[in-house]
Amino acid sequence: MKPPPFAYARAGSVEDAVELLAADEDAKVLAGGQSLVPMLNFRFARPSTLVDVAHIEALRGIERRNGVLAVGAAVRQLDAERSPLVAEACPLIGQALRHVGHLQIRSRGTIGGSVAHADPAAELPAVALALDAELVAAGPAGQRVIAAQDFFVGPYMTTLEDNEVLVETRFGVLDARTAFVEYARRSGDFAQAGIAVAVTYEADGVTVALARLAAMGIGSAPRRLTVTEERLQGERLTEDLIGRAAAETEIVGEVHDEPTLSYKTDLLRTLLTRGLREVTA
Amino acid sequence: MEFHEHQQSLFSRPGVGLGDRAPRMEDDRLLTGRGRYVADIRRAGAVEVAFLRSQLAHAEIKSIDCEAARALPGVIGVFTAEDLDDVAAVPDFPDPDLARPVGTFPLCRGRVRYVGAPLAAVVAVDRYVAEDAVELLYADLEPLPVLASIDDALAPDAPRLYEDWPDNRLVDVRLEEDKDEAFDRLRTVSGSYYMQRHGAVPMEPRGTVASYEEDRLTVWTSTQFPHIARTMLHYVLGIAEGDIRVVAPDVGGGFGIKAQVYPEDYVVAWLARRLERPVRWIDDRYEHMVSAAQARDVRIDLEAAVHDNGEIEALRACVYHDVGSGEVFPNGFNPDFVAVASLTGQYRIPRQQSGVIAVVTNKTPAGAYRGFGLPESCFAMERLVDRIAQELGIDRVELRRRLTIREDELPYVTATGSELDSGSHLAALESVAERGAAVLAELRAQETSADIRYGLGYATYVEGVAPTYFGTTGHWTSQDACDIRFDPDGGVTVAVGISAYGQSVSTMVATVTAHELGVPLEDVRVVMGDTDRAPYGLGAWGSRSTIVASGAIHRAAVELRAKGARIAAHLLEAAPEDIEFADGRLHVAGTPNASVSWSDIAHAALIRIHDLPDGVEPGLETKATYAPPGIQHVPREDGRMNACPTYTNASHSVVVRVDLGTGDVHVARYIVAHDCGRVLNANIVDGQIQGGVAQGIGGTLYEEFAYDDAAQPLATSFMDYLIPTASEIGPMEIVHFESPAPGLPWGAKGAGEAGIIGPAPAIATAVEDALSEFGIDEIVATPITPRSILGALRSARELGAVS
Repeated sequence: MKPPPFAYARAGSVEDAVELLAADEDAKVLAGGQSLVPMLNFRFARPSTLVDVAHIEALRGIERRNGVLAVGAAVRQLDAERSPLVAEACPLIGQALRHVGHLQIRSRGTIGGSVAHADPAAELPAVALALDAELVAAGPAGQRVIAAQDFFVGPYMTTLEDNEVLVETRFGVLDARTAFVEYARRSGDFAQAGIAVAVTYEADGVTVALARLAAMGIGSAPRRLTVTEERLQGERLTEDLIGRAAAETEIVGEVHDEPTLSYKTDLLRTLLTRGLREVTA
Repeated sequence: MEFHEHQQSLFSRPGVGLGDRAPRMEDDRLLTGRGRYVADIRRAGAVEVAFLRSQLAHAEIKSIDCEAARALPGVIGVFTAEDLDDVAAVPDFPDPDLARPVGTFPLCRGRVRYVGAPLAAVVAVDRYVAEDAVELLYADLEPLPVLASIDDALAPDAPRLYEDWPDNRLVDVRLEEDKDEAFDRLRTVSGSYYMQRHGAVPMEPRGTVASYEEDRLTVWTSTQFPHIARTMLHYVLGIAEGDIRVVAPDVGGGFGIKAQVYPEDYVVAWLARRLERPVRWIDDRYEHMVSAAQARDVRIDLEAAVHDNGEIEALRACVYHDVGSGEVFPNGFNPDFVAVASLTGQYRIPRQQSGVIAVVTNKTPAGAYRGFGLPESCFAMERLVDRIAQELGIDRVELRRRLTIREDELPYVTATGSELDSGSHLAALESVAERGAAVLAELRAQETSADIRYGLGYATYVEGVAPTYFGTTGHWTSQDACDIRFDPDGGVTVAVGISAYGQSVSTMVATVTAHELGVPLEDVRVVMGDTDRAPYGLGAWGSRSTIVASGAIHRAAVELRAKGARIAAHLLEAAPEDIEFADGRLHVAGTPNASVSWSDIAHAALIRIHDLPDGVEPGLETKATYAPPGIQHVPREDGRMNACPTYTNASHSVVVRVDLGTGDVHVARYIVAHDCGRVLNANIVDGQIQGGVAQGIGGTLYEEFAYDDAAQPLATSFMDYLIPTASEIGPMEIVHFESPAPGLPWGAKGAGEAGIIGPAPAIATAVEDALSEFGIDEIVATPITPRSILGALRSARELGAVS
């Protein structure tokens, strides 16, 4: 369990990081190292150069602007979890982060690292999806913005190019009630399934204006439960509606054998029910 | 009753010592980072080893190309079985009628039989280079058909793992064809119960460092039995035992897996001699998960002939065990005989017929793990008892009450010959049943969620302790030894043949020695884990340490006290029989001011021998051995056998919290009533029970060495092999009953495996209790997972919808 030989380069700026990546096609970005380092030790990943972005000052800010919460890619998960700004603008992030690994892991792991790693059972990609986040990537041709919907394409697969660095995640700020519910076999494990819930209400305070439901751990990538979202829109979120909506929720677009499909479906319905109960007005 | 009178009087003495909740003497050092483990052994010029391990479960070795690896800068050498042509095969069990010979060599010859089997050893300047070189090795392996389960191995046309065997049965003790006549006469209840493959994953994995200097081999290794390791190294390497020194430094957990000598240990020692420089191998967690002995993977088929009142007249049992490739001595089948001998537990079951079939497959070799056959047998038997209760409509506790032997029936000889000498079988059961019911009511009353159900479960068992064991060197044996010596200043050094791996035996040995000699605890130093300094002993396993070490210490202390009394009498001008031992001094009875210290005695014996009385030899040191009484080392004519000097008993109850929405089973409260005879230090016994229960919960709900159909291991890190953390264990309550073991030191029994035996059946029946409204009553296998619970609930719903 020793990594194969690799070169280490500490990037001083985003431009620097992009240059370093361009210089070596087998280079890989290192941030908090909480996923990459175990993969190196197992020799599952064997990059020739690690480009360390964790010390780039420009990637370490948290800022609220133009209706979004912009979180720098190298912001440590624990810092985001404890940030009053995050709690105020996007409480869902803090709700989700409490489920990420253990304290020690969150104190090293970064927001951008988790998003870019795209583990199908990870919490932050689901949050990004639920909050219609935008991912800002920097590459040789400059920066581009990718919608979360277009970002997560498969297990550990994103539309980020090999020569790009994730710079920032712009989470949408909503006046919503939010909840993050998951089930893991042990505290701190990757979840068997989980769901990020954000619901906004009409002026009457009980009718659902907008429901955002992003499930993770149910397949190859996090998914929005669009059918269920539409089902809830314009309805009063009663216990009865929650029960019916959950019972009608199916996992679509994933290839599962039985009994896995039944298990994941049962679990998702439970978590959806519990998540929606938490956001009832 | 060799021990009683003297020890009774010592026991009642107040202060820090026997019977107290004294702090563990080891803790300060180990918990403040001052422990010294194998990985901390640094030898000048040491080189590191990494192994090429098979990625295939079963294959013929065509060739291994080492050229590129040898050429890598920093590589000192690459060695395969061809290089190790001067080693002997690891000895097999000496009776081929019981267990077929396996004939294993330290590096695979001809075939590989499991993923992780060592094919070659790379020696390099450091572990990084060694691992780089391993990647450059190319092993040409021709795949062979794979056996991945008991059924695979027993299939009529199954490929064979060992070509010279007629089948895949390492052990084949068949059940008699003729059933006990009771099965014709009475109702029969049967079941087949499976416990999944799991095992010990101590914080410190394995490791061995060896050096060969001045014609002497020194081996530092993380082992539970240094002397046995030395004997095995002698067998395989052909070096005289006196020319080998084995040292077990601090050992960071063993739980049974370090009561095996492994291929890597022989290879590292061989390399040190070959290269004439220190060689170091510290395994990593991946290696541990594929190469350290695994356990369980046992199915037990049971059938009981039952009276209408639930009493069981006869039992038929067959144990099927997947021992993996069987290539780690002693092959892993020993727990099966413990399982057979333990089935009846504390129940009155007059007759038992038994079979044992241990099969080889293409999985990591099986070996010892805490519990050693008992968790499997307790799971099977207690599940069968629940089944009987259900079929007869008898309450689960009431049936256990009826079956449990009463105090007036002791000593009771079980159907397989175990002599239950003492215990609190019924009282312990009543205790946990009452407490469990109270906790259940309390938790149910507090619960507000409609998705939560609570259930209560029980398990009872007896645990044979300090057994005879043929696994250690292939011969039956059970003794241990100590060597106690005084220094002139009155200090005492006690060297023992048992071994420490976190279970606090230093505290036990020091406390027992201090009490036996009547010296202050701080004057006692304990030596163990070094074959040059400690007398030949069998190490620590089988809940034996307290019994065997105390017995030897007692014998040595009796001699030393007698000698001390004679010298004191001479110095004080009194009669030896008037000398009393108190407060670290030797007094003349009735004369308060007339006393000498142990230092005075030691001075006379070692420095001023002209002070000695006539006929007393100089020196103040005694060696003693002790083999616990009452043990039969081989089965009697009738096939029955009492393998242990005494039997600890316990009852467990558990309240589980089941989440109907997620299938999660959480242990809300775990209750243990435990009787290991005289409790010498309740802190230590509590720690043993708590750790055991935690591992038992792990084995019931979380831990599994899963394999796919090609016998590829699926759990090779702690991402996939789930060990319970503090969050998963829940609060525990422990009550001690104390039924002294007649004729054993202090009346103490063993407590090492206690906690791990009960959780599987207790949790299984508790889950069924929680889900009784859904008619779920068929838990016959572990692990019990959220997926299996949700699946059962879904089936129950679908059935309900149909009917």
